Amino acid sequence: MKNKNRRIEFLNNPKLVTIVIFSIVMGCQDFLDKKPQGQLLQTSFPVSANDALLTTNAAYASLRNWYFHSGGYPVLDIMSDDAKKGSSPADQLNTVGPYDSFTINTKQDGLDRWWTAAYQGIRSTNVVITYAPAISMSDSLKTQYISEARFLRGLIYFDMVRAWGGVQLVTKPDPPLGLGNSTASDIYTQIIADLTFAAQNLPEQSKYTAVNLGRASRGAAKAYLSKVYLFKGDFINAENFGMEVFNSAQYSLEPDFNNANGLSGNFGVESIFEIGASPNDGTENGGDQYANTQGIRGSPNRGWGFNRPSIDLINSFEPNDPRRDATVIFLNEVLGGVKTLGDGSTPDTIKVNNVITEIECYNQKVWSPGNNVASQWGHHRRLMRYADVLLIIAEASNQNGKNSQALQFLNMVRARARGGNAGILPDITEPNKNLLQDIIINERRHELALEGHRFWDLVRTGKAAAVLGPLGYGVNKYEHLPLPQNQIDLSQGHLKQNIGWN
Amino acid sequence: MFKILIISILLVTSATVLAQNRQVHGRVTTTDDGKITGLPGVNVVVKGTTKGTVTDLEGAYAIQLLEGENDLIFSFIGYTPQTIPVAGQTVVDVLLAADFKVLSEVVIVGYGIQRKSDLTGSIASVKESELTKIPSFNAAQSLQGKVAGVQVYNASGQPGDPPVIRVRGVGTFNNSSPIYVVDGVILDDISFLNAADIQSMEVLKDASSTAIFGSRGANGVIIVTTKQGKVGQDRTVITFSSEYSIQQVGKTIDLLNGKEFGQITNEIIPGTYNNLNALPNTDWQKQIFKTAPIQNYQVSISGSSAKSQYYFGVGYFNQQGIVPKSSYERLTLKFNNSYNVSQSVKFGNNITLAPYQQQVAPDVVYAAYRAQPMRVPYYPDGSFGAVPNVGNPLAALAYSNNLNKGMRLVGNVFTDITFLKDFVFHSSFGVDLQYKQSSDFTPAYTVYNPDGTPNQQQNLFSTLAKGNGNSSTWLWENTVTYNKEIGDHRFNVLAGYTMQTTSNEYTNLKGNNLIRELPELQYLNNPVYFYNLTSNPVINNLASINNEVDPSAYYSLVSYLYRLNYTWRDKYLFTGTFRRDGSSKFSSANRYSNFPSFAVGWNAMNEKFMKDVSFLTNMKVRASWGAIGNEKIDYLKQYSLVLASGLTSPVFGKNNALNSGATFDVSGNPNLIWETTYQTDIGLEVGFLNNRLTGEFDYFNKKTQDILVPLQTQGYLGNGTGALITVNAGTVLNRGFEFNVAWQDEFKGIKYKIGILGNTLHNEVLSIGGTKGIDSTLVGGYLGNGQASTLSRVGLPIGAFYGFKTNGIFQNASELAAYPHDSNAEVGDLRFVDVNKDGKITDADRTYIGSPIPTFIYGFNFQIGYKGFDLMADFQGVYGNNILNGKEIVRPDPYNFEKHVINRWTGEGTSTTEPKSSFGGYNYSISDRFIQSGAYLRLRSLTIAYSLPTVLLDKVAIKQVKVYVRGTNLFTSSSFTGYSPDFGSANVLANNIDNGSYPVAKVYSIGLNVTF
Repeated sequence: MKNKNRRIEFLNNPKLVTIVIFSIVMGCQDFLDKKPQGQLLQTSFPVSANDALLTTNAAYASLRNWYFHSGGYPVLDIMSDDAKKGSSPADQLNTVGPYDSFTINTKQDGLDRWWTAAYQGIRSTNVVITYAPAISMSDSLKTQYISEARFLRGLIYFDMVRAWGGVQLVTKPDPPLGLGNSTASDIYTQIIADLTFAAQNLPEQSKYTAVNLGRASRGAAKAYLSKVYLFKGDFINAENFGMEVFNSAQYSLEPDFNNANGLSGNFGVESIFEIGASPNDGTENGGDQYANTQGIRGSPNRGWGFNRPSIDLINSFEPNDPRRDATVIFLNEVLGGVKTLGDGSTPDTIKVNNVITEIECYNQKVWSPGNNVASQWGHHRRLMRYADVLLIIAEASNQNGKNSQALQFLNMVRARARGGNAGILPDITEPNKNLLQDIIINERRHELALEGHRFWDLVRTGKAAAVLGPLGYGVNKYEHLPLPQNQIDLSQGHLKQNIGWN
Repeated sequence: MFKILIISILLVTSATVLAQNRQVHGRVTTTDDGKITGLPGVNVVVKGTTKGTVTDLEGAYAIQLLEGENDLIFSFIGYTPQTIPVAGQTVVDVLLAADFKVLSEVVIVGYGIQRKSDLTGSIASVKESELTKIPSFNAAQSLQGKVAGVQVYNASGQPGDPPVIRVRGVGTFNNSSPIYVVDGVILDDISFLNAADIQSMEVLKDASSTAIFGSRGANGVIIVTTKQGKVGQDRTVITFSSEYSIQQVGKTIDLLNGKEFGQITNEIIPGTYNNLNALPNTDWQKQIFKTAPIQNYQVSISGSSAKSQYYFGVGYFNQQGIVPKSSYERLTLKFNNSYNVSQSVKFGNNITLAPYQQQVAPDVVYAAYRAQPMRVPYYPDGSFGAVPNVGNPLAALAYSNNLNKGMRLVGNVFTDITFLKDFVFHSSFGVDLQYKQSSDFTPAYTVYNPDGTPNQQQNLFSTLAKGNGNSSTWLWENTVTYNKEIGDHRFNVLAGYTMQTTSNEYTNLKGNNLIRELPELQYLNNPVYFYNLTSNPVINNLASINNEVDPSAYYSLVSYLYRLNYTWRDKYLFTGTFRRDGSSKFSSANRYSNFPSFAVGWNAMNEKFMKDVSFLTNMKVRASWGAIGNEKIDYLKQYSLVLASGLTSPVFGKNNALNSGATFDVSGNPNLIWETTYQTDIGLEVGFLNNRLTGEFDYFNKKTQDILVPLQTQGYLGNGTGALITVNAGTVLNRGFEFNVAWQDEFKGIKYKIGILGNTLHNEVLSIGGTKGIDSTLVGGYLGNGQASTLSRVGLPIGAFYGFKTNGIFQNASELAAYPHDSNAEVGDLRFVDVNKDGKITDADRTYIGSPIPTFIYGFNFQIGYKGFDLMADFQGVYGNNILNGKEIVRPDPYNFEKHVINRWTGEGTSTTEPKSSFGGYNYSISDRFIQSGAYLRLRSLTIAYSLPTVLLDKVAIKQVKVYVRGTNLFTSSSFTGYSPDFGSANVLANNIDNGSYPVAKVYSIGLNVTF
């Protein structure tokens, strides 16, 4: 009893209680500092040569983003006379379909994805361009990384300026808020500055080791400069940079046209710049969904079947042009030992008023050998082929009054297409500048069909109204796509819509 | 130090000895089940002084009285106090009677208990008998229809999926679930608890009661108290209960049969089927649903000895799903002990250990809804029949092999130390340790089309996914309470300091192409990344691995808490609380925030002028105001991080090598601050006719500000497609009126009770984004085809449905031409309303078409008992909300249809509501055609129980035997065409959208409870 009492009294001792209370450990600030786990903060990156390499690599990876390819679906081909929406008739009818029928609106599916993916890519280049100069590493390495990043920035802005015109010009990873439209001319100035820097500082293709194939080269920068000048109507510079590529002796045409885009021609002699990908399902695993989007639908199941070659394209090839069959997968065609049966829920032919307007067929340029969907993800999309450069030289030379040089380069492309068959695709001898221009544009259509060039070629050459008008193309409107409404709303008044889209 | 201590003790003891005059001692006892036992812990106070002592474990006490001190007051919470004149006695023994009225009026509040009469907050209590009424693994299910202001949704009927609980509406765009405080440990979920181990659940609703939980209480607090051995109950009580239930799908959805589907198909694609009568007719729903059992057993042993109380419970719960390959099995072990070291020092523990395993069915419910009825489940050779577009649900089930296993340990050790007479120091160290393991194996298989070609339902290479994860939380709480009664004033003061930290880590592995499909070979090794399946299918390849921290459960908190309860003459009540919280989720500048609350109350019955009002037994008016926080965001939102993954890695070289890359990820927001909810509550409690009729009425107004909203940022900032940055940019209002009225009486031996409760709810978004976001809207409720179906906008409820309004069918070409219409619209198609009157039908014409949030939620119950028989019925329902039949909208391919499609438009005048047949497209745009009423009334539970007469049982030393039969969800009145109208989503922007989820079953149970 006494013992118990003592215990009670002990707890009634004010001094002791005070000691007990103060002995309770009070938490310190450190307790509330929870560092990000497994995550690196931007404030500590990039700081080393290796970090600089990682940021440069990431800039390339932004090209493998599905959305980088015009928002996912190949809408540039679908908007041209080369292709229809594809897939089964109801599939993506309201999302992709309107690009086919020129009934898109400012909120059209895909616009915002393309826009945001492009700027995400631009930010990854700006991270390199902004932070690499302060990193301690060799000047040559520094210049190399910055040049690669500037090449990619120029390339992405070139897509943007053609799609939308005067977009916002961002050259830093953390641009100021409230940025408004720039002018198309300012964007072109930046593109040319970036590509020129890259052309001056990047090594030629042959200087890259085998494991680095896929990095931007001097030839790639010059080829893009040539193309940028072509789009600006500066044919002198277009021809000059094209000729520099030609004279560099870095490239040649694939003897087999199939390899110009096919697996065997990956990082091949004709490829000036391409997006590497490995045959794995999923962008995170190295795959690129660009070809999967267009792959055969149904049997064999290789993809979704968008970007269906149009009857107009199929019929437009010259007689026996082997490029027709190398561009289009027809039903019952046997590829890689597998017969193409197509999709059961897609009609084999679509008729309007008893006239066949579409047949079920697929884009062969994105086809890869293999028997599953994953292999289709391994297609390397060619962004710049040597054949494109030769045709740019031909077109620019013609514009610059050099008929024979134009014919020479044009016929180089036709000769390859001929594949040794002397009976087809005769050499062009057209002396008239305007007629030759049409022939060259037509050659571009057949050589570069379904590779994303046709729509912009038609707009650039002023042929869009005549060719695409019947399909719904509106003049003074479709020269540029509408800015995504979402971006205009988000900008709270800073971003202005393109002409014709208000 | 030790010397000082000894000296102090000596000084104090000797002082006591000197002051002694005469000693009185005795024993305080009470009767427990007819036996007299000593009552420890009774306050013995000398009347007119503050001098006193408490009884020891045997109930004994001794006290010194000075001259003139004549009366002793004996008091103990839950017992009727007594004042005894000592006169000349030296031994005073007292028998205290339990005061059941007072006992029932003690309410558990945050960090303590309080007399109900002193309560100023709005707290609803649900007791043990109500908690085991629903055959569920989760006791929170029992709150449905039992607490005004609380709504319980079933996100899915998948066994083991927790219900979604909302207290007083949805106050944030983020996690709106309440927190649970289980014996002092703060948790997000109580799946690990066996309902039979729970003594009571208290739902804290208003700011006065929740503000003591500061940053965590904004969505309500549910305090769960588990069972303890009863003080003074020295006889061991053993309870045994067993329940066996049968579950069935409550109703199936009316779909087209084979012939009808053929007929519709022929209209869309003429000539598809030549002989409609010869088409097979498979009822896919019948194929996948089965009758499934639930078993629930539990044994508990409890009691107390002179120095300790103990409760030990073992429970086993096993629920098989109504869809094959879904189940949940759990074992619970409960250990609650407390030990009195002395009269002033007590130690104890409350520990639950719960191993469990769950099998999750593949999504065959939706597949069965969509599967074409003229497809056969099996071919004549017994192999699976192909079902286009959705796959054969039976094949999906057959090839699904997943199992989630885990173990959870939740518990605390605590001590209560009484010092300086009126102070109690309480310290509790709690933990929540979880270990999870998952395995999912799909063998290589192919389902073949009727023509022998492989169907898309195939898995070329076997795949195995495994996951391991653990999380741990510790929480250390220290509080000091001071209880004092001085004359007419009663004080209860609380101050405390708490620390909590939560961390976790998990690892997931995925692999392909097992060399054999045997369970003992389902392991992963041989890491060869980025293999090429086409040319080089690596055996047992480990294809992916990730090891990370779940950012939503990685944080630490420190809190300082204070509360003052003051009562004057039992009439006027005041409560003030203040909590200061610091969280690791915010940057150091914004880390701390303060959460105050104030409340007043008035017990009118204790006023003299009310004495004569005989029909009134109780009347209390109370009002409260306070600020409470919410910090349920993940800790990474403040940081700008670097992204390094396959997505930032390019492929270079002839060998397609993935080169590592890394760059800036989405920007973080270092300026984040806490969400704060300001809540006002005015309440009235009344009791009439000796509390036979009771009522409780509350008005609440809850405004949540600075809601953390993920908003889109401008594209040129480069955060990427769909990137969202969390900002404090939203305000939401919830207000309503709650009532809970009950009548109970006894009539000629028949005891009966009728209760009705409910609440109205007005939910409104007051602002979003402001200058920070886009168009002050928040889009959500993405359906399977990527279409957003909800738009939260100023003036609308959270997650309001958004789409076209329809007003009929285009009956003929001239009508089509006369109305604004979409270019895809044809005669026989739906007519959409040109809401913005611009003469065109565009996306801009989409508008508000319904609310997922009920405006009235109610429940009523009755109970009638006669002799050993008891009949109990609980009803609950909601009114005023809508359901979006999302499962019907998403139709990229030809699927089966709901029955109403058969009433389609087939020519002018044939229908004004059902458009002409189509497999999808225009008529399946999100519109009010897919909005249904969410109102329902359900017989939640009906029980008939019989307790054997005690006279019979006494002979075999059994205290109670009760048998019962029960039906759960027996009857639901609803116009909804889906399985069950009471589903919800943890995501408040995607609420009440039926995406073809696992239905909630109808359950028949039989049970036996025995107490020894």
